Formats: sequence, structure tokens, C-alpha cells
Amino acid sequence: MRGFTHYISGLAAATFFGALVGDLRLGILIPVIAAAAAYFPDFVDFKFGKFLARRDYEIDPAPWDEKKHYAPKLVKISELSKENRYQFFAIEGTVEEILARGSGKVSYKVLREDGSEETVTESYNSIVFTLNDGTGKITVEAFGDDYEFFEEEFGKIEEGKEMLVFGYIDIDEDGSLKLVVSDAPHPQGIADTIAKAIEEAYSEGERIVKIHNIRLPGDVYRRFMVHLDPPKREVRVEMGPIVTPGGVAIGGDVPEYRKYGIAKVSVPFIKTYPKPTRIDSFSGPEIAFRKAEFKGKTVVKDRFLPWHHGFSHSLTMGVVIGLAVFAFFKLIGYEHATELALASMLGQWLHVFEDQLGFMGSNLLPPLTKDVVPGFKLGESGSGLTNFSTAWLMIAFMIWNFNRFTEPRAIPISDAKLLLLLAWPSIIGFGIAIAKSFKLRKEISELMDYYTNLEAFEEMEEVGGI
Amino acid sequence: MLPLSDLLIWSLAGVLFGALISWIPGFHIFNIMALLVAVFGVGELMPVKAFPFFAIGAIVAYAYVSAISSVYFSVADESAVFLLFPTQRYLLLGRGHEAVLLYLIGAVAGTLFLVLGLLFIFPKVLPPIYQATSPYITYFLVAIVVFMFMSEWPKEGDRGRTPGERLWLAWRQILGGIFVFFLSGILGFIVMNTNLLPTTSAYTRLTPMFIGFFGMSWVILNILSNPPMLEQKTDDRVESSLYNTLKASFGGALGGTIAAVYPIITGGMGALVAGHMTSQRGDDAFIISQGVNRVIYYVGAFTLLFLPNLRLTRGAAAWLVSSIYTPKSYSEYLAAVGVVLLSAGISFLFTYYLSRFIARSFNVVHIKKLSYVVAVTLVVISYLLTGPMGLAVLFVSTAIGMMAAAFNTRRSYCLGGLILPVLISMTGHTGYFMSLLGLG
Repeated sequence: MRGFTHYISGLAAATFFGALVGDLRLGILIPVIAAAAAYFPDFVDFKFGKFLARRDYEIDPAPWDEKKHYAPKLVKISELSKENRYQFFAIEGTVEEILARGSGKVSYKVLREDGSEETVTESYNSIVFTLNDGTGKITVEAFGDDYEFFEEEFGKIEEGKEMLVFGYIDIDEDGSLKLVVSDAPHPQGIADTIAKAIEEAYSEGERIVKIHNIRLPGDVYRRFMVHLDPPKREVRVEMGPIVTPGGVAIGGDVPEYRKYGIAKVSVPFIKTYPKPTRIDSFSGPEIAFRKAEFKGKTVVKDRFLPWHHGFSHSLTMGVVIGLAVFAFFKLIGYEHATELALASMLGQWLHVFEDQLGFMGSNLLPPLTKDVVPGFKLGESGSGLTNFSTAWLMIAFMIWNFNRFTEPRAIPISDAKLLLLLAWPSIIGFGIAIAKSFKLRKEISELMDYYTNLEAFEEMEEVGGI
Repeated sequence: MLPLSDLLIWSLAGVLFGALISWIPGFHIFNIMALLVAVFGVGELMPVKAFPFFAIGAIVAYAYVSAISSVYFSVADESAVFLLFPTQRYLLLGRGHEAVLLYLIGAVAGTLFLVLGLLFIFPKVLPPIYQATSPYITYFLVAIVVFMFMSEWPKEGDRGRTPGERLWLAWRQILGGIFVFFLSGILGFIVMNTNLLPTTSAYTRLTPMFIGFFGMSWVILNILSNPPMLEQKTDDRVESSLYNTLKASFGGALGGTIAAVYPIITGGMGALVAGHMTSQRGDDAFIISQGVNRVIYYVGAFTLLFLPNLRLTRGAAAWLVSSIYTPKSYSEYLAAVGVVLLSAGISFLFTYYLSRFIARSFNVVHIKKLSYVVAVTLVVISYLLTGPMGLAVLFVSTAIGMMAAAFNTRRSYCLGGLILPVLISMTGHTGYFMSLLGLG
């Protein structure tokens, strides 16, 4: 659920205590602590946990320019190394020598919607030249659609011409670096690193990968998708269009020949969520790959945002918060410290329960429980329907509680009737969400069945062996 | 009540007045109305009973036509670290007219929601709900403020080299927001509780502060960023979906209603709450919901003044009008609903054609030049309304507004200028804070 849904649940939790409602009427605003307690798990995770968490691999397909805070970063040639392969950069320099101008045909594989591969052959124009920026020189190569764009932007390339070129770094056959003109990094680097992390997790136990997003000038983002394909034992990364922070695609699709990066994985792994991971605006995700047992076999399992939904999202934490609130407010002499502590604990527990309706689940009672209990899969955390239904229910509870704790009552009808009148939008919303969740549960169940399909596993064993 | 012909004439005059000034960046209808009253008075210029209808026409026009200034005249330089509003991104892509059309879709939806609400829901539902919840308004208000702080999304920090550096980068922005809120709050407290500004400016004492926070700082950013004047498309085409439109309209209506009914909760705060409640995503949805939100927030709040069994005074315009004449009968209420519809229709057409005209001739006058003219006008308005000390307030509040942009934090933290003093007053701590600041 979204943060405000949790927060408003805490606000509502406080109104179940007559003493706290009485305080609010008097202008004593301390009960708002219950709302802060309800939001506390996300506050801790997103304001602290996220930044302090361990990162074993940091994938930054397009490092930011440190002054402008977007990509591509303007670099000096002498700063580049093989470590930068597939990353997106800009270099400013002078054309030193034209090495080749030409045309020909290029063949490359593309993935169809159904996952099958197709080989495409296209005519292309190309240019290869060396660029010198005073700190060194690098071979620059432009071909295909990128050549067309390049020529349109710079006109005819001549020796001595000064230009700012952007593209991804690659390694030539002779081992030297080259800059391939493009408007996006090559996805192969992302796929390779994720595949490596999965393989290491299989032998070492856990690897956490941080994937940075690609921010471009004008506050827009290059979207890319990470598909984990366990049956094929592949990590596939697809470079997508440029999108706004609101997720609206505004064009800028990359050519097919540098759209996909595919890396084979030599160990078995499973994916617990049936959709690919989409990276665009805000910040990129962290994914933990952990060695686990699945149907009696050792596999690597993914866990999205490993720093999220840990101890902060447990019922135990609710007790800790309740005790802390009680101790503090008792100490400062707040008359209703007990009610406030209970409301704060209830608020935090509502957060845990609401998140449990989704996918990730939480480790509910640490240290008694050690691992996450899977969620009920009623809807995704960003679902407008479940968020609104829950938030509206909490508003209904607040109005209902305010009314029943006030004499004479502002709304003079029975409590049951009032609650029903207020809560019907939520009842309908939850009804629709439950109906919709059956489809998603079926999809996940089919995915898990697919993993346990013996034939698929046997086939995998032939590839790499379990 | 006024004769129908007079009512129509004054309403149309209001629409014309609102439409003519609302497209200018930095101008706010409340400030201009205050200036009008301060300079010309009302009793002589127009009948006092006509003033509410003149105001409603002007406010409806503002709710529609201000889309022009927020889309075309608030562009930012892409090299800055500031995040762009969705409308600014549309403009940088040459799709400013599309952004206006999306806003208009929202504004029309907002008008329909509002009129249906005014006719069938508000008179019956609002009074009991308001009665039950109004004693707890400070609870909601402080809750929204705490949530604003707790939910600030760190835009930086991901790329720090060490955990400590990441944490600092993230918290630098969060702390910046808190700083802006309290700084605004202190300024607001001083403006509201001291005789810094002349007593003759009773109704407009907050005007220079708000011009500084949201108008002048915006105009100065336009001057500093010197944005490119890009060619704009004039096609009448929008990219959105029915689902997004409905969802955004619902969210916008929810946020607008909250802001319209409850005091101090502004449209931005209502939008924040409703956006989270309905889990909105998408630039198209954002712009549509803004259209709905602003119509319901501005027009709805003002129209509550006409509702005989509630008669809430919400917003600066309502306070200004109610100091001269408060409508009393249901016939005036129904007439107000009619004026809302009529004004909305005219404002829609005005905004649409003005947007086409500006899109076609967008690069004729550079926004930087226009911004200089507006900056001077804003200074003149502040001086006329509040005198030389008003200019000092304008200067300080502009600096605070610019600070919010520099910290890459929410501009709405500047609302601390209103929220903090009101909270202090509501909780009975004004005297304590006066002595704390050495003012009393």
C-alpha cells in the first residue's frame, strides 16, 4: 500500500480511543503520533535502510554528470577503462583521422513478442574515425540508424572538426576501447552483471544488486526492463523508450540491434513475481539474489528491495513502538499515554496487515519467525483500487468515531447505519479487488507450476546441471 | 436578489476581468481582486449584491485561464537540478497546447463534479459531515504537515559513494524542506501577529508574502533560467486514456473537495492527499487532476459562501466578498450554480483559443522579457496594497521561495507561512511564540 494509506490508518487508529478523541477536541494534537507510528516502517526503510543497505554490485548504465545530475556524463578519454564497457558517456574532442566510411549489410537477432528469436538483415551506412580530446584518443564508430542521426546532427565529418559525441563504450577486437555512437547504453552490461550475481549467489549464498536508472536532460528517463527467464536460464534486458517521470513514453525508441542484452546463467534460479522489473523514473531498484530450497532443489531466488519489509514491518516492531511511546509520554506526564501507546501499536500493526494484502509479505514475528510470510496478493502496492478502498474505510472510521464520541451527536443516526453509509465505497472497492486478484493468483500459480515442471528442470540440467 | 440582467452583466464582467489577467504569470485573482477593492471600492463601482457574482465569474475564469501561465510561462532550464513539473516537460517537448487541453478536460470534469455536487450532494451531505469533523480540523492539518515531512521522497542519494554520503545527500533535501517550512512559518507569524504592515491592509496583509513565495520566485526563476522558446504544436490531440481520465478526475475531485471544505488545507495539500489515496501515476493523469482540483478548490470553496445551511467562508476571495456582502437565499445559491456553468463555458473557449494563439506565436515575445514586466507589476501591486514594508516582506518571501527550488524540495513547504502561525494560534501558543521571537 502507498504511504498515505498507512498514515491515515494510524490517524484512524487513534480515533478508536475516546480519551484521545477528547484530547483532539481540546486541541491536544499528540494523538497524531499514532499516524507517524503507522508510517514509521516505510519512513525507516526509505529514509535510512535504502541508503545504508549493502550493495554487492552497482549497475550504473549511464553515470550522471556530477554538475547537471543527468546522463551522459562528459568524460575525458584518459578516464575510461574496460570497466566502462556498455556504459553511456559523452566525449568532447577533435576528429583526428577518418578510418573508414562505408556501407554494407548487418544481421542481428531480435526477440519477438512470444519470446522466439528472429534474425534481421539490414543495409547500413557507417563511419569510423578517431577522436582526440587532449588526454588521449578513441575510435568512434557510427552505423545504421545511429549513423543517420549522427550525420543529421553534425553534417559531413571531416578531420579537424570539433564535436561532442555521445554513445556507449565497447571493446574492439584488438582489445582497445571504442565509442559506439548511440542515445542509450547497451543493455548487455546490465544483463551480464545480473547473471554474474545470480551465479555467485548460488555458490556464496547472497548477492545484492543495485540497478541505477537512466536520467536524461529535461527530466526524462530511458526506460529499461529486466526479464529473468528461469526456464531458459537467461537474463534479458530490454532498452525501452524515453519516458517522463509520470511514465508517459515520448519516443526515442532504440534501434533493434542494440535493444536487447542477453546473458546465460549456469545455475538454476526462479523468479517469484510474474512480471519483468521496469526501471525508469525516481530511482532504480535493489534486488537480492539468495540461495534457497525450492521443491527439494537448490536454486537462487530473487527478492525485490531486500532492505524493505524487514524488522520494521513486523508485529514485533509494533510492540517496540508501543512500549517506546508509552515510556516517553508517561515520562513527560501525558495523561493518556496508555491509549496513545495502544493506538500507535495498532497503527503500526495496520501497516503490517495492509502490506500483507499485497505481494512482498513481511517477516511477521521476529525473532520467532526468520523469513518473510508471502503476501495475500490482493493487489499491487500501487493499486489505486485497494489504496482508495483502504484509505476511504479509514476516513469512514474517523467520521464514525468522531460522531460516536461526541454528545450530542452531530449525525443523529445509529452507529451501524452511519458506518454502513460511510463505508460502502470501500466495501465495493474491496469486492472488485478480491475478484481481480483471482486472475493474478492464477498467473502466479501457473508460473510456479512451470518451474516445478520436471521436463523443464531436466532440460535445464542438460544446460548447466542442478 | 439582483435582477437577472444585472446578475448576468456583472457575472460576465467578472469572467472578462478574470480572463484578462489570469494568463499573466505571477498574477493571482485574489490579489487582483483585493487591489480592485482597495483602489476603487465596491459600492460605487458596482452594486454590493453584484460583487459575489462578479467574483464567482472572475474565480471561474482564473481556475480555467491560469492553465496558460502554468503551462507556457513557467518553463525551466534543463541544465538546472530542479525537477520539472509535468506541464513544463510538455512545453519542452513542444506539446504545451496538449497540456492545456488535458488541463481543460480536467477543468470541465471538475465543473461538472462541482455543479452536481452543489445541486444534489453538498446541501445534504456537507453540513452533517462538517459538523462531525470540524472540531478536529487542527488534527487533520497537523497530520498533513507531518505527512508532508515524513513522505518527502529523496531525489538524490542513490549515487553516493558510501552509505554515509548517500544518507547525507538524501537528508540534505529533506532538511532543506523542513528549513523552508519553518522559515516561511516565522515570516508568516511575524506578518500576522505584528504591526509590520499597516492596519489599513487588514485583508491583504498576506498578499506580498504569497506573491513572493509562489509568484515572484517563479518569475525570477524564469528570468534566471532563460529558457529556450521552442516551437509548439497546435494539434487538438491528447494522449491519455479513458481510465486515466476518470481516475484522475476522481482523485482531483476528492483533493479539491477536501481543500475547498476545510480551512487552511490548500489545493496542493488536498492534491497530495488525494493523489496518494488514489495512487495516481502518469503525467496526463496529473495534469487532468490538476484541472479538476483547481476548479473545485477555487470555485467550490468560494461557492460555499452561498450555501445557506452551511455558509462557509473559505479562501481570501470569500473573506473579501463576505466583508462587503454575504449571499443569503437559496435563489442566490442556485443563481451562483448557473453562473459557474456559464462562466466555465466562456472560460473554456477563452482558454482554448488563447492556448492556440500562444502556441502559434510562442517564440514571438521571449518569456524573459515578459517576466521582467510581470516582476515590476508584482512589486507595484505589493506596494499599493501594503506599502514599503510590504516590499520588505515580498523580498524575504521571494528569497524563501527561491530557497525551496534550490534545495530541490517541495514548493508547498512555503505554505508554512500560513500553516504554522494558524497552528500556533489554534493551539493557543501565540503569546509564547511572540515572546520566544522577542516580539511581545
